[in-house]
Amino acid sequence: MKLPIYNQRLLAIEKRTQRFMLGAVVVLLLVLMMIAVKQDYFHRSTTILFFTPNAQGLSKGMAVKFIGFKVGSVENVSMQSNATVQVEVSLDNEYVHLIGQDAKARLVKEALVGESVVEIIPGSQQVKQVSRNSVLEFERGQDASNVVENLAGQLQPILNDVHQITSGMSNPNGDFQQALKNLNQATGGFRETAKEFTQLGVSSNKAMDRINSSLGTLDQAIPKLVDKADATLDNVQSATSDIKKITNESAAEIPSLVRNSNALVQDGQETLGGVKKSWLLNGLFPEPEEQVLPVDGYVPLKQQ
Amino acid sequence: MCSRLIIPIVLLLLTACGHVEETRSARQQQATEFNQRAQRAFQRGEYQAAAAFYENALQLDVAVENVNGIAINMLNLSRVNQMLGRTALALRYLDSLLEDRALHYPPVHLAAAAAQKSLLLLQENDAAGAMVWVDKAAAYCTADCNLSGVIDNTRANIALQANDGGKALYWSERAAAVNKGAAPLEYANSLRLMASARLLKNEPDTVPGLLEEALDIDKSLGLPEKIRQDLLLLAQAHEKLGRIELAAQFRDRASRIAATALK
Repeated sequence: MKLPIYNQRLLAIEKRTQRFMLGAVVVLLLVLMMIAVKQDYFHRSTTILFFTPNAQGLSKGMAVKFIGFKVGSVENVSMQSNATVQVEVSLDNEYVHLIGQDAKARLVKEALVGESVVEIIPGSQQVKQVSRNSVLEFERGQDASNVVENLAGQLQPILNDVHQITSGMSNPNGDFQQALKNLNQATGGFRETAKEFTQLGVSSNKAMDRINSSLGTLDQAIPKLVDKADATLDNVQSATSDIKKITNESAAEIPSLVRNSNALVQDGQETLGGVKKSWLLNGLFPEPEEQVLPVDGYVPLKQQ
Repeated sequence: MCSRLIIPIVLLLLTACGHVEETRSARQQQATEFNQRAQRAFQRGEYQAAAAFYENALQLDVAVENVNGIAINMLNLSRVNQMLGRTALALRYLDSLLEDRALHYPPVHLAAAAAQKSLLLLQENDAAGAMVWVDKAAAYCTADCNLSGVIDNTRANIALQANDGGKALYWSERAAAVNKGAAPLEYANSLRLMASARLLKNEPDTVPGLLEEALDIDKSLGLPEKIRQDLLLLAQAHEKLGRIELAAQFRDRASRIAATALK
């Protein structure tokens, strides 16, 4: 009597174990399926390539964007035998028709301190679309440090020029100072001659000669001075045009940097505001309220 | 049993999640910011700057009809103008609060305004007017009002001005009992008033002890005018106790503080 009951129980346990194992296998399969979906195993994609001298800032899994939308990811970054870096990009097939063979890949930062992404810069639409193992041209976008570095690099020679001009102008043995001295001497000589001419009233011929001589000196000195002034102005003009050029080049980058940092600060403030308002933490950050100064029951001494 | 408890707990948690924080308008937040900047300026003794910030806060509160904010900033403007020596303007702010027929301010703010007006009138040597307004302050001060210590001190001040040492001592001792541990600023005022009352009654023995305690509090709060008054009263007490040299030292200390001309 006892043995059949025991067997029945054993059978029941076996059935339950089977069901449990089956459930576990189903859950495992579901998890694997989800991983596979996440990893795009069921997604059809086209691999394209680009080459770069170094792999700095590039990594496997990095997002690839086209006009702001994610269209793929970096599949592999490998060093070639010729010491260049080959980057394999997996593009979703649904976007491949939008990307021409002359499109470019550019490494950019999404925000001032954001993640780097590979951005596909569209080429002309008449050109044939990319296909498997097409090679795109690659370039690196400028980030904040690059912009500042370039700016500093380009400003340095200008500052050197300005320094050279100002030190040349202030040097007592320099051309500019010498020319001024010559001019000064010439006007001094002219003044002296005029004085002699009016005071003595004699030897008018001699005085006239001196005037002529002074004027001759002036004639010699003035063109020299004008040349120097021209050269100085040329240098200043060149420096100004350099600065203008740099400003124009940086104009596109700097406002976006400023916008990005503004947006970043705003995001930070909004996030902090949100955290402060969450019911778990709002007790730690009480909302400030208008405060009244305490009434001071004190009457100054002179009135007492 | 456990399962029965789980449902109320989950509901409680969901209620907590669903709690919506009361949102304040940007204008109201801006008014609060001005008010806080004014408070900081007041604490640093920059009364002119504090007045400007309180005015900005008041303007915003009036614009959005924040009744509580209007009362708070009117009271603060009265205080700051009192510190700037503009007693008439300080009184005008209090009157516009106390005589407003259109808006209904919380009684606690009306009590503060009445007490403040009483003190200002006393400062202007109008003891009768001060008595009227201190009584009104007491009438306004009912629930949620922590001004009873200030009101008692005001009554002690009035009695002191009337040279009634006994009454002054009674009200100041009552005020000290209320203020001790609750409001250091007001407790120091009570101690000073007790000392003055005892000096008036010619009972100087316990006065130095009271004033030393007041002096410690006033120093910790950084109030030069009150420190100076503590020192002058200490000089007076030591003089009455026959300690002339010590009295001279306290007078010298008080005069050094007066030389800074800081309030």
